[in-house]
Amino acid sequence: MKKNKKRLLYWLLAAGVLILSFLIIALNSQEDSETGTDTSILTDSEWEKGNLESEIVLVEYSDFQCPACSARQPMINDIVGEFDSHIKFVFKQFPLRSIHPNAQLAAQASESAGLQGKFWEMHDKLFETQSEWSVLQGILVAETFTEYALELGLDTEQFEKDMNSRDVKDAVNSDFDNGRDANVGGTPTFFLNGEPFNLRNYEQAREEIREVIDEASA
Amino acid sequence: MNKHEKKSEKLSMRRAPKLLIWGLIAFAFIGFLDTSYLTVSHYSGTDVNCSIAQGCNEVLSSSYSVIFGVPMALLGLLYYITILVLSLLYLDTHKVKILKVIAVLTALAFLFSGWLVYLQLFVIKEICQYCMISAINSVVLVILSLLAIKYGRK
Repeated sequence: MKKNKKRLLYWLLAAGVLILSFLIIALNSQEDSETGTDTSILTDSEWEKGNLESEIVLVEYSDFQCPACSARQPMINDIVGEFDSHIKFVFKQFPLRSIHPNAQLAAQASESAGLQGKFWEMHDKLFETQSEWSVLQGILVAETFTEYALELGLDTEQFEKDMNSRDVKDAVNSDFDNGRDANVGGTPTFFLNGEPFNLRNYEQAREEIREVIDEASA
Repeated sequence: MNKHEKKSEKLSMRRAPKLLIWGLIAFAFIGFLDTSYLTVSHYSGTDVNCSIAQGCNEVLSSSYSVIFGVPMALLGLLYYITILVLSLLYLDTHKVKILKVIAVLTALAFLFSGWLVYLQLFVIKEICQYCMISAINSVVLVILSLLAIKYGRK
């Protein structure tokens, strides 16, 4: 009898430790993802595409040198393509400078291309060529970005000037600060109408976006 | 040494040393924590914290991270829970059969882990530190379980 009690206690203890540690982990990582921002942080000067009039906004905080971001590009393109008449897609800069040495300049390059009306072209180009320029150092990085600008038919002189201008740096940094305020920890991070959004599983993401669209039109 | 002591010594020889079993429990617990974190992050859609190697999110969002709709992380979690429960069960009942089941499972997991490490190094070409922790774990677990069987048979 006494032995049985001891065994019961042993198993209860083991189960308790497992459940408790799982809960601690689940709650902790949940805290990380509690990114309670809303779309009010969006300013007038955003890089956006899709239905610009739409109230349904999908925001991505991204880093051009982040492999996970470029890996997810095809999925994002599919999503944006499919829902482009229903949602507005907004790109926000979130260069992780401490681990990606060329991310800040890449962000500035995209902003500079944007000043000449080719933000999305440069955005696509930078992700496509990520593995080429990620490994470069020093002056080579800026030169490579200028080459891309030339390929896109931009005024390279203006592009170079803009890339290092205070305004462009500020634009990147203000996105970054917005992200910090919204508790963005890593890239890519997504928000759908201000709520943290999971864009890892394509089918699931589509379904959730459809639900939001249905709700909005109901 | 009196008769009683001799008898108990003989009995304990037939059992796997407790230290090995606690080793199994400890490493399975580390694996449990590791895969819990990955499973939670998979379902909540948050990216994991890559402090050592950079590619974890690329690995974890690659097409290899899900098998028949089940995330690898969840499979790992179930595996570690199974090993934990079996090890605890062995401490409770001391049945050699349980050790054999553990050895077979850890050997299979070891082979599977080898495949996952291969994918990371040569296919995805990014390393995920949490997956590597699990791979190292699976090596340790298979060694411990084989040792447990070896000593358990004496």
